[in-house]
Amino acid sequence: MVDAARQPKIDVRTYTEVESVEGFVGNFKVTLREKAKHVLADRCNGCGDCARVCPIEVPNYYEMNLAPRKAVYIPMSQSVPLVYTVDLDACIHCYKCVEACGPLKAIDFSQEDKYVQEDIGAIVVATGFGHFDPSVMEEYGYGRFPNVITSMEMERLNNSAGLTAGNLIRPSDRKNPQKLAFINCVGSRDKRYNPGCSNFCCMYSIKNAVLLKQMYPNVDITIYYMDIRTPSKGYEEFYDRAREMGIHFVQGRPSLITEDEETHNLFVHSEDISLGRVIEKEYDMVMLNQAAVPQPDQNHMSSVLNVVQSPGGWFMEYHPKLRPIDSPTDGIFFAGACQGPKDIPASVAAGSAAASRASRILHSEKWEIEPIVAVVWPDRCSATTKGRACGLCVKACPYGAVVIDGDKAAEIITAKCHGCGGCVAECPEDAITQMHYTDAQILSQIRALLADKPEEKILAFRCQWCSYGGADLAGTSHFEYTANERGLRVMCSARMDSDFIYEAYRLGAGAVLYSGCHPQDCHYITGQKVGAKRADRLKKMFERMNMTDGRFRVEWISAAEGDKYARVLNEMQMTLDNMSPEELRDEIERLKPDMEKRLKRFPGVPGVSEAMDYSDTLVDAILKAKETS
Amino acid sequence: MSDLPNETNNNEEELRIGVYICHCGSNIAGVIDPEEVVKFAEGLPDVVRATDTLYACADSGQRLIKEDIEKFKLNRVVVSACSVRMHEPTFRGAVAEAGLNPFLMEMANIREQCTWAHGHDREGALQKSMDLTAAAVAKTRFLTTLDMIDVPVTKKALVIGGGVAGITASLDLAEQGIETILVEKEPTIGGVMSQLNKTFPTMDCSI
Ligand SMILES: Cc1cc2nc3c(=O)[nH]c(=O)nc-3n(C[C@H](O)[C@H](O)[C@H](O)COP(=O)(O)OP(=O)(O)OC[C@H]3O[C@@H](n4cnc5c(N)ncnc54)[C@H](O)[C@@H]3O)c2cc1C
Ligand code: SF4
Ligand code: SF4
Ligand code: SF4
Repeated sequence: MVDAARQPKIDVRTYTEVESVEGFVGNFKVTLREKAKHVLADRCNGCGDCARVCPIEVPNYYEMNLAPRKAVYIPMSQSVPLVYTVDLDACIHCYKCVEACGPLKAIDFSQEDKYVQEDIGAIVVATGFGHFDPSVMEEYGYGRFPNVITSMEMERLNNSAGLTAGNLIRPSDRKNPQKLAFINCVGSRDKRYNPGCSNFCCMYSIKNAVLLKQMYPNVDITIYYMDIRTPSKGYEEFYDRAREMGIHFVQGRPSLITEDEETHNLFVHSEDISLGRVIEKEYDMVMLNQAAVPQPDQNHMSSVLNVVQSPGGWFMEYHPKLRPIDSPTDGIFFAGACQGPKDIPASVAAGSAAASRASRILHSEKWEIEPIVAVVWPDRCSATTKGRACGLCVKACPYGAVVIDGDKAAEIITAKCHGCGGCVAECPEDAITQMHYTDAQILSQIRALLADKPEEKILAFRCQWCSYGGADLAGTSHFEYTANERGLRVMCSARMDSDFIYEAYRLGAGAVLYSGCHPQDCHYITGQKVGAKRADRLKKMFERMNMTDGRFRVEWISAAEGDKYARVLNEMQMTLDNMSPEELRDEIERLKPDMEKRLKRFPGVPGVSEAMDYSDTLVDAILKAKETS
Repeated sequence: MSDLPNETNNNEEELRIGVYICHCGSNIAGVIDPEEVVKFAEGLPDVVRATDTLYACADSGQRLIKEDIEKFKLNRVVVSACSVRMHEPTFRGAVAEAGLNPFLMEMANIREQCTWAHGHDREGALQKSMDLTAAAVAKTRFLTTLDMIDVPVTKKALVIGGGVAGITASLDLAEQGIETILVEKEPTIGGVMSQLNKTFPTMDCSI
């Protein structure tokens, strides 16, 4: 901690939050909100005279609210930086602190939150984890029974720097407890709250037992566990040592804690698997090893950073095995427990790894990004053909990358374009194309995918970042789904042009899936919204045409939702299975003329008629090759 | 800069497409017969070379592609293998080493999105592998050469969160001479670790 404050290249900004992140790798523009401490950092010398005179006491979060702090405070005596903060929510404006501070004049009530913008090349996200609140599990009585405490409270109570200077006392009578029970997996590995394992609770449970046993050799400690997980180097040996020291281990998950109202002693009711029966034992004090959970503001941070969350809410890495530190956004990296519970050695390793991933970029003069950008054909823009630029492209772009200058055709600022393809699909004149995802390329893929028995196929449009990843995860997890799915990838749902959907049905597709990120996960800020609006229009249109419900589905599927991808596809298959072949054929034929009408102008798009001609040859070849192979 | 895809499609040169069907050991070949897909691909327009390979991503697989580019004068490459999230950079790199523009390579995902998800339906998986391969071939027909875009780099890092992970990352960055801003929402850095008593595995004090 102190090293970080001393390192001249590190600018530590506490009491500060990230308001917004814009831009891209090498070129992020970050807005920070430096909350007003009402104490001037360059004047405060950390003497604490202000806090001594402050009449207001509120619970100190740092002590898990077991001890008070003043309205003007530092969370702990070793705070870094050693600068006091006035908590205005608690302060009664008596100004005794100002008086006590005297000639230093460090306290300044006129200070306001400051918004500062920083140019940043790469970002490491290390926002850590939160603690499960066990009071929701009524069976354990936390909050009702004073001697039931959480593991974080234990860390403060037996800590020589904590409120009791390391003298472990139980809250009801301030006596040293003699008989303690620790309960593992409280709120973790529990389908009601968090299905996952919290990774470090087994070890800290054993740690606290060993520490207490060293301090108070006569205490009697029992750890209730489901499984003891000690896979890292030296951890199993540590567990062995604890057993040799006489710490008891009971395999069983307690179902109930009751209290003797007079003594405030506790009775733990549990199964003991090795005895094969239910036991009930009395203790002076019980520690609940609360699950590690995502930070309360993790969803908010996820949208500020434009990153994705795994099923339990943790930040999700680009690839769990091969790129475990990278976020899906180039230039943003994860370190520590914000990705899922990690102990200190693993968090330190991840911190170094993230620094190393980031420094590849930060040591480079230039960084390469994919040239998957939009390009305008000025001749086709309505500015040229009708004398007025319609501006729909400008509206679609999340980055302000499209500009219209007077009566000139729209223009893309390549450096600003992230390549979502929204403007391309929105332009009514088909005056914009996207590199590597042109209409001709996508059309010929559609034709190939629907060459053989199109009525049996489910054409699935997926965005690169989320639903393509979701489909990958379905496979990696071996969630089986219908082999009639035919997937097609674009960068963002914003690129899923209505023409592609019409073309699929014109060709007689059985069903079409339109899928992308959830709005808060969108890789292109608001690209998904552009896609979603269009999807909504299409859905309503198909409803009006009386298309069988489920033949056109719009689903937002994250890279973490492999199960959802498989489920949606299987449901779509069921929709098709529930229709008789004649029924399906009739419906396809009935809609065809309408689709053809809507596609009238499509062949006029540069490259499309050529792609049509090519596809005719290709489809013949596919059918022939299938026959012979 | 890059070519602009246009009406008169700039693929005036004769197309010569190479198609590689990966076994991925038994990950793909355990469900479908890659040779069937090879035979199918041979019948597609402009495909002048189609073959299977045990591991396309291995050195040997990449070498095969690179040598073929020269031998068969390939100007488009299709690799039917795993997810683009796994190996698109690998195969883009491989074709680039053989002098082909990396954006003239296209992948078909016949592992994560096919054999791994359709183990229960081998015939269905085979049909799908063929169609996905054909779609990749179709896309290459209209691919154009592209160049990566160079962007400048601001040599400054932001670390969000001052727990042990964020502090470590900041120190490692700073010690490499990189200006680093460490943002912490609370009045002190330290995170949960600073609140802990002695910590495993060393049982030393935590701050
Ligand atoms: C009871 C208990 C005992 C433990 N004992 C041990 C042990 O003995 N040994 C061991 O190896 N591990 C132990 N652990 C695990 C250890 O706490 C974690 O490994 C470690 O704290 C993870 O570090 P971190 O930096 O990733 O996250 P954190 O410690 O959670 O730090 C995250 C930091 O980011 C800040 N932050 C969060 N959100 C934002 C935001 N939006 N903007 C700015 N700042 C933000 C937070 O305020 C915090 O300072 C224990 C955990 C618990 C609960
Ligand atoms: S002004 Fe506020 S912070 Fe200062 S002493 Fe009074 S109550 Fe405490
Ligand atoms: S949407 Fe198309 S027609 Fe309208 S201004 Fe943009 S480029 Fe021109
Ligand atoms: S809408 Fe998307 S593709 Fe079009 S200019 Fe903006 S970022 Fe680029």
